[in-house]
Amino acid sequence: MTAARIHYAVAALVAWQFVAPAASLAAIGLPALFGRPLSERATTRLVGAGFSTGFLAALVTLAVLATRSFVPEVVHLGTLFEVGHHAASIDLVADGLSVPYVCFTTGLCALVNAFAGTYLHREPGFTRFFILLALFGTGMNLMVLAGSIDVLFAGWEFLGISSALLIGFFHERRNAVDAALRAFTTYRVCDVGLLAAGVVVHQAVGSGDFGRLFVGTWPDATCVVSPTTATIVAGLLIFAALGKSAQAPFTGWLPRAMEGPTPSSAIFYGALSIHAGAYVLLRCEALLDAAPAMAWSLAAIGSATAIHAAIIGTVQTDLKGMLAYASMTQAGIILAEIGLGWRILPLVHVVSHAILRSLQILRSPSAMHDRHELAAALGGPPGPSAWSLVPLLPAGLARRLYRVALERGFDEPLLVRFIVGPVRIALESAAAAERRWVAYLGGSTHTAARHGDDGGAT
Amino acid sequence: MASASAHRAEIARLVEASARLLPPQGPIDAFVAQNPLHGFEDLPFEEAVIRAARLYDAEPFLPESRYREELARGRIRDVDIDAVLAADLGDRTLVTLAGGRITLAALQRELLLHPVRMESDSAVRWTLSESSAIEHARPDLDPNLRARLIAVGRAAGKASDAEAERFMANDLWHACLEATSRSRPAIIHVQPPVRHRDLLLAIDPTLDTDALVHPLLIRLVAAYLDQGVASWPMPDRERGLLAACAGLVGWGGGPLESWAHALPDRLRRVAAACDAGPADESVALDVIAAEFAGLGIPRHAWPDHVARSLVALRGWAGMVRQLEVRPDRAPVVRLPVRLVDFLALRLVLDRVATAWALRERRGRSTGGRPDLIAAWIELRDRFPPRRGPGTLARAFLLHQVAQLVGLSGVDVRGLDDNELVEFEHAIAAFDGVARRRLFHLAYERRHAIEVLDGVAAHGTGRPTGGRPGVQMVCCIDERCESFRRHLEETVPAVETFGTAGFFAVPMYYRGIDDWHATPLCPIVVRPTHTVAEVPEADAAARHRQRQSLRRLIARLRGGAATGSQTLVRGGLLTAIGGAVAAIPLVARVAFPRLAARAAHRAADLGGRRIPTRLELARVAETPLPDGTRAGFDDDEMAAIVRRLLEDIGLTSGFAPLVAVIGHGSTSLNNPHESAYDCGACGGGRGGPNARAFALMANDPAVRARLAATGLAIPADTVFVAGMLDTCTSGIRWYDTGRVPATHAEAFGTFRSQCDRAGALDAQERCRRFDSVPLDVSPTQALERVESRAGDLAQVRPEYGHASNAVCIVGRRILTRGLYLDRRAFLVSYDPDADDEGVILERTLAAVGPVCGGINLAYLFSRIDPLGYGAGTKLPHNITGLLGVMDGHASDLRTGLPLQGVEIHEPVRLLVVIDAPPDRIRAVLGRLPAVRQLVENGWIRTVARDPATGSLAVHQRGAFVPHVPEHHDLPTAPNSRSWYQGRRDNVPPARIAVALVPTETPR
Repeated sequence: MTAARIHYAVAALVAWQFVAPAASLAAIGLPALFGRPLSERATTRLVGAGFSTGFLAALVTLAVLATRSFVPEVVHLGTLFEVGHHAASIDLVADGLSVPYVCFTTGLCALVNAFAGTYLHREPGFTRFFILLALFGTGMNLMVLAGSIDVLFAGWEFLGISSALLIGFFHERRNAVDAALRAFTTYRVCDVGLLAAGVVVHQAVGSGDFGRLFVGTWPDATCVVSPTTATIVAGLLIFAALGKSAQAPFTGWLPRAMEGPTPSSAIFYGALSIHAGAYVLLRCEALLDAAPAMAWSLAAIGSATAIHAAIIGTVQTDLKGMLAYASMTQAGIILAEIGLGWRILPLVHVVSHAILRSLQILRSPSAMHDRHELAAALGGPPGPSAWSLVPLLPAGLARRLYRVALERGFDEPLLVRFIVGPVRIALESAAAAERRWVAYLGGSTHTAARHGDDGGAT
Repeated sequence: MASASAHRAEIARLVEASARLLPPQGPIDAFVAQNPLHGFEDLPFEEAVIRAARLYDAEPFLPESRYREELARGRIRDVDIDAVLAADLGDRTLVTLAGGRITLAALQRELLLHPVRMESDSAVRWTLSESSAIEHARPDLDPNLRARLIAVGRAAGKASDAEAERFMANDLWHACLEATSRSRPAIIHVQPPVRHRDLLLAIDPTLDTDALVHPLLIRLVAAYLDQGVASWPMPDRERGLLAACAGLVGWGGGPLESWAHALPDRLRRVAAACDAGPADESVALDVIAAEFAGLGIPRHAWPDHVARSLVALRGWAGMVRQLEVRPDRAPVVRLPVRLVDFLALRLVLDRVATAWALRERRGRSTGGRPDLIAAWIELRDRFPPRRGPGTLARAFLLHQVAQLVGLSGVDVRGLDDNELVEFEHAIAAFDGVARRRLFHLAYERRHAIEVLDGVAAHGTGRPTGGRPGVQMVCCIDERCESFRRHLEETVPAVETFGTAGFFAVPMYYRGIDDWHATPLCPIVVRPTHTVAEVPEADAAARHRQRQSLRRLIARLRGGAATGSQTLVRGGLLTAIGGAVAAIPLVARVAFPRLAARAAHRAADLGGRRIPTRLELARVAETPLPDGTRAGFDDDEMAAIVRRLLEDIGLTSGFAPLVAVIGHGSTSLNNPHESAYDCGACGGGRGGPNARAFALMANDPAVRARLAATGLAIPADTVFVAGMLDTCTSGIRWYDTGRVPATHAEAFGTFRSQCDRAGALDAQERCRRFDSVPLDVSPTQALERVESRAGDLAQVRPEYGHASNAVCIVGRRILTRGLYLDRRAFLVSYDPDADDEGVILERTLAAVGPVCGGINLAYLFSRIDPLGYGAGTKLPHNITGLLGVMDGHASDLRTGLPLQGVEIHEPVRLLVVIDAPPDRIRAVLGRLPAVRQLVENGWIRTVARDPATGSLAVHQRGAFVPHVPEHHDLPTAPNSRSWYQGRRDNVPPARIAVALVPTETPR
């Protein structure tokens, strides 16, 4: 086979990994849009077909790439716009990072799809769940295979919206909707980081293409921009990653996100969504190499979050909350590993952790059963962990630390006091200023006063 | 202080009274279905559900649309509506309305048969402008009425029928509008609520103080009650809920949410009081009194305030209560927990949140501390009255109703003011709840007629003359009904009995793999005996090896599970070994049945089961540390055996083989697993009880004692025991090695017959599962139900008691060969051997609360899956090993999950007792609790006179003869031909093959 033919074959395979879930999304979404949702069986089969063929395509691609020592294959799908030297093209890239990762994500999605097909039987929101799952899978693969920061952003956004909608899956319950809104707001705030990073990259290299930003193959690539630019972009990407991976100071949404059906909690907060930030940072690792200050900050934030979440996790009394903090701990460690310059270790860690944690969340309703078996085998309920450091603390300190942990490190009031409150005041004063300006420019003091009154009430 | 102690006593009394309003559900690992409205049982059912619905903000009946669907498909019939209306109105049937133009009965009948819409003024305005609703007569109008309408219209000179109809409809509309315009809409003054939260919410829907208080309260109570989810338990738990939480939050370190700034201060004082005061409940009672004083709640509002404050978070409050009264049911840790502590804590939080909310409302500018005491009175004065419907809305309603009862525009104009008010009042009084109540009665009536006609038409077969080949004693559980029926169809020479599935053996039982003894008996009983399962002597060494291997594996697995949640170990474990989890993940999801089998094999450590025996006989006279005695002595055993055999009427004619079959259910990933176990064993599995009973009945010493008192069990009769897994439809047999060689062959045959019956049972169950095709064979069905039991993703491993509706107390001969669709609890009782009603008394004492409780738990969970049930299982989150929450921080969800009740038909249990009405009345006189259930209509009771076979239905204290609608009963060759191909409930039928042969060949 000639190199060109192999290239086209690989291109088709890579495109399929993204197109297959997208096609299943359309296949189940369109009938539902016209008020004729497919049967449960057809729905799960279509989505399952999308994920499993995507998975097979990824496996074949991996095999082909392995024979070619992981030389990246760039698949050019089109160009969004082109102005002089500046271009925004839609590229996918298959390399040693993206293809193994797609194998893992689509494989896991296929499993969760099979699980959910039984689990959600007769649920009124059955079709909605699978539409969101397919949307998530599409976004995930788009993000993973992205060859440019623009495509990556698009995938990232699909992830965010499907995640928020699944947290609020039981939208008749107030808690669920509040939690969904909370997650969505956190995502949106942090999305600004990714968007701004895209703008800076475009400004610096005239394109969002990773091919123009990095030289060399992952994980040994280097970036072509100045250290200052690298620091800015890395900082913005880290900011984006902190939100998705529930790192300090954005930790509060994750335990609250356990409101959706169990399988969605498993795949989002045990497995894939929580590691999206880590993936983006791995993808852009060359920027971190070029920006040591940011890399160290990442390591510091990741470690701090890990310690914070590990302590809080010990006092959680609900299974899913406990698993949420366990996920957060590992996500923190993974980010710290990335910050410390490892590449393969965090990748392995992500995959390994995701599999373990999604299994734990999927079988969390078995906790009674498992506990009983464990106690039976041990001849009594498992006692306090021999590894626990709590007995070493003085009683007064232990009590206070317990309180801090029970209040989840006071994340809520701290967030309100130091971030939400000031932002709200700033926005309100900006709105007031705008009204004053409009009134001044419009030459009327009367309307300004009236609007001011209205604004005060909101 | 005299007043302080008086306050204390009163508050203690109020808390005690309100505790009855909390869900009766204990820790979820021993789920016992009980009436969630047990606190209302002293009221008649219909009144109770309506009052309870108001208290709990729940639904009293199914939605009206649901009943209308049932009406449309014939599940409710017009005759049922007429009958319940006539019974309900009594002598008011003849009341006339609208100047004698119609009767109240006719009005109510029309309102039941035809839906009317009650809309707001603006909705009516929209309807008027956007549709031609008032331009036509109702489409569902009776043809005669329509003809009359058209005739009148034609007489008024309209050219066509359509025009005449339009004219009349329009004219009626204007008449209605004129009529309702004459009077002003009513203002309905409602009694304002007593909690500040409800008062504030009525004024400002964004200000919900419970939304502030509950997250913190849930976190604290969950942490306090936790049975071992958190690896770091709450400090100072032994000091009680109030002291522990006050001590914790009283330390004001760390920033707090804005509402809670005043909280640490207040709780520090509570903590100080706890430190200084006695360890009893007086501190909490004083705190409650102080909070009431601070909140400005006057004495007369205390009872309601206590009730509402507890009910606001009733899942958690109920769990506190359960662990207070039954500490022995705590899964792991016994805690000194008290409901008064919970209430005190809640009121402290409530007051702080209320003060903050009032300040928020006034705006910070005014400053100062809000006067809570004045606020309560002020808020109640300002509580918004409810407006009655407006002129347009009333006219729209009147227009619809007038058509239904055949009033024309002229008629409506002819009404004087009094008549109009009276007519409108009659319509308004027959509101949604009133209609649903009657619909529900009609719904239940149809069910009763179907069943009673079936029972009456089936009659009795004649008893067998010869000695039966096998006898089987099962639980009364309605899930055993199908198993018994299929067994009888497979083996005509079998005779079956039903009795409460703890087989009269109340005990704490410790299985060979259990770490502690759990009670196996009805929850109202506290056992006084403990029985342990121990390995056989020759297997003891193997058992020890196996135990140490198991312990090692458990240490590793448990260590890995908890370790994966920690920092350092978790990092290493997940990074290095996490991918190993891919094997169980893929296997469990993609190949559930294989994975479950592999897991079972792994749990058995590859080897055979360890042969075991029960330590049933009394070993030592000294009581165990928990006050119980180890094992039973011969007299106790003889009493148990005698009691059970007398209960079921098996005192002579013993078969060579008597099988005693308990039941239980195994399923995976199911927090409500124990809800599927045996209710008579307190949510445990009844196998050990069956095994114990069989051992007792085989014991020569016991038999000698029985024979001495006139109950002779033949020497060639052998008892065997087993446990039916209602999820997999398979039986696990016990002590098979002890079956004597003389009976080995008969036992072997019987086992294979049971396997066949189990497969048929599985097939009959599968017809209810939407995901199983209707044409599965018994073998395929068996595979299906087995794989459901081991499937992580399966939220409906079985349907539990979802089909319960009937309970028949009587000889099996009344129901043998009668297809009862797994809907009937079958309690064996021989009326001929019980003239005094002694046996009936103890039978009803158990059956009433147990079956009634199961039935009512399902009924209410089905009627309101959110208010009384646990809602959908999909977001359930196990908390503290005590119960489930929805998502991350909700009230504990009590009741049954939606997936367990979705196919349930909510009708009150129809109990048919095969005894003369006088005997039943006499027995009820001796059983006040059951009598209350019967007389207040929580169960529907029917007497079947054993002499005549006639049925009489209990109505308002009297037994009224049942008049059958149909005297014939469809006949099917076997059960399978009757149920196959149907998903819904199947009516009774006579099953030819299972009928007792009238002439038994010797």
